[in-house]
Amino acid sequence: MHVRNSRRRAVALACALGAALFALPAVGATDITDIGSIDQGAIASLPAFQVANRQLQQYGQGLERQFSKRAAHASRAQQQQLGAEFQHRMADKQRQVLGPLLQRAQVAIASVASSKNLSVVVDRRIVVYGGTDITGNVRDLLTGVGAPVPPVSTPPPSKVGYVDQQAIDQTPKVKAASDDFLAFKATQDKLYGQKFKDAKTDADRDAVLKDYHKTLDDRQTSTLKPVVDATRSAIADVARSKGLILVIDRGNIVFGGTDITSDVTAKLK
Amino acid sequence: MTGPRIAGAGRLALIALAGLTACSHGLSNDAGSNAGGGTIGYVQMDQLVQKHPLYDQLARYDRSIAAFDLTSTAPRAVGADPQMRAREAELQRELTAAADRTRKLLDQKQRQYQAQESQAIAAALRGANIGGASAAQIAGNVNLTARQQQGFVAQQAQRDLQSYRSSLQHHNQSQISAAQKALNDRASRTYRAKAEELQSKEAALSLSLANEDASQRLALHTKLSSLALDDAAREDAQNQLKALDRKESDALAAQRNRDQQTLANLQAQLHTQVQQELNAEVSSIEKRSSGSLAARQQIVQRQSASVGGTVIATSAGGRPQPQANPNLSPQLRAKIQQLHDVYQKRFEDDAKTTIASFEATRADLSRRYAELHGVNDASVGGAQAQIVQLRKKRDDLYDQIVAQIEREVRVLAQQRGISVVLSDVVAPVGGVDLTPDALKDIESLHE
Repeated sequence: MHVRNSRRRAVALACALGAALFALPAVGATDITDIGSIDQGAIASLPAFQVANRQLQQYGQGLERQFSKRAAHASRAQQQQLGAEFQHRMADKQRQVLGPLLQRAQVAIASVASSKNLSVVVDRRIVVYGGTDITGNVRDLLTGVGAPVPPVSTPPPSKVGYVDQQAIDQTPKVKAASDDFLAFKATQDKLYGQKFKDAKTDADRDAVLKDYHKTLDDRQTSTLKPVVDATRSAIADVARSKGLILVIDRGNIVFGGTDITSDVTAKLK
Repeated sequence: MTGPRIAGAGRLALIALAGLTACSHGLSNDAGSNAGGGTIGYVQMDQLVQKHPLYDQLARYDRSIAAFDLTSTAPRAVGADPQMRAREAELQRELTAAADRTRKLLDQKQRQYQAQESQAIAAALRGANIGGASAAQIAGNVNLTARQQQGFVAQQAQRDLQSYRSSLQHHNQSQISAAQKALNDRASRTYRAKAEELQSKEAALSLSLANEDASQRLALHTKLSSLALDDAAREDAQNQLKALDRKESDALAAQRNRDQQTLANLQAQLHTQVQQELNAEVSSIEKRSSGSLAARQQIVQRQSASVGGTVIATSAGGRPQPQANPNLSPQLRAKIQQLHDVYQKRFEDDAKTTIASFEATRADLSRRYAELHGVNDASVGGAQAQIVQLRKKRDDLYDQIVAQIEREVRVLAQQRGISVVLSDVVAPVGGVDLTPDALKDIESLHE
């Protein structure tokens, strides 16, 4: 009798806990349900991509030979013009050879992401734990018979945002600070390069290196750090205003996500 | 009785929770994947890497790479250039040609000044109404002047040879020092690289041993912390812990001994190698140097031998003739001596200019010779190869460190029920920062 009562109480407790769980908000401030990841290296090693890369490599070698022949008797200005022309031709070829493959891969990723209700797919390298690895599914679609079918709907809004760091680096304040630091570094490289060369012992060389790093660190702190802090703060502000949980670099986003680059650059101006 | 009842109720509650969680997660088959729902976490990988036991090793690689990047060059180990001999021969040819040109010029100037002096003396004698010096006297004067001029040129050439010899010695010493420095630096780099590699392996071994025994050690510590443990069981657990410590330290010590032996062998091998290569280089430098000196001596001999000589044949079979007629008045003899001194001085000044020009040419050739042997030259290729090698080692070590950190973070995430953990986050706004907890775990790896 006593045992039966205990079991009843336990079942009641379990039900109460279950009910409490259902009563909780579905997604909290730090909750996320729909992150996928993909190993881009594994996709790039698929036979179709390898064949395309070999084709591009051969084309590039042919272009190099042509360039050498034509540039041999050309002036510096003509060589620059030729270089631009050949780069253009290489880019065209890349679009022609890799374009369809990349498009197919994008469709496959979108299709798998859609079927698994993922709002964002990131590069596998930044995933330390968890998430849904869709590499196998995408590989199957790409190596299967027939073209992958594009998803009907666009990806749902994601709580993971991304910024294009390169675009942010081009904003006037960031660029000015970055240029200033690079110019300073170039001067210090020459100066300390000579000091390093003149140093007689390992201890002297260590001292030169230490001094060099300290000089650069100090300059970084005075020139770059305020800009980096301001940028980070701007990104966090925009992310908060859009209800995002995390912001990562565009280079790590493969599919989906919320692009906040333009908001951040506008805030930094 | 209350305790067990509550425990039983708790178990049921957990079963219910697990059931709910399973339902909410759907039918995902991915191990470690929890896409059905959960909390997102992140880690600041840079901070964690800096706290890893192998970070010092990584920093050492970074410093070495920075050092190579900074100089963009490294002292060149002495190496044989297949074109070296041809270039040396070319320089030697240029030097010989310059010496020949100088010799001809001096010869030409000598004859020119001697002729001028003879004409001036003849004019002076004519002006003194002396029927003119005999042909033998004039020839004697001219030949004596020629010998004096030849002596001057020979002295200059001898001084030049002396200067060349000391310059060559200095140059040789510089070359030997540079070779010695390059060889020592290379040996030192090789030794340091090996020492770092072995140190890195020792650190990895220590880490791996600690990891292997971690669960057993934890179990023993847990057992020891129990108050209900009797003395015999406590002693047994303590002995097991000591045995674990001993096993790890013995394995590490054995590895260290082997590594020390490897390093000692390497040091001896490098020492012998450096000595052999240095001896070969010294011998090669000395051989080149004595060849250059011999060639230079020949040039000097040619210079001295070709300039001057008997300008006008005398009746006395070339024997020196009186400088002037002893019957001449002291005034006239003084006049002739003065004329001789003037023309001798003019020749010497002119010859000095010619020899200075030759010296400049020789100095330029010596500089090019030094460049050819690269006394202060550096090898960019060698440095680049070192950088590539160092970067590879650095990247391998970094991957190893990150893999270890990721293992720790995965355990943490599982313990805290976090479904996804990302690194390389630009701006964390929400999410759980696992960095502090992971830092503690990483720091405990040092113990």
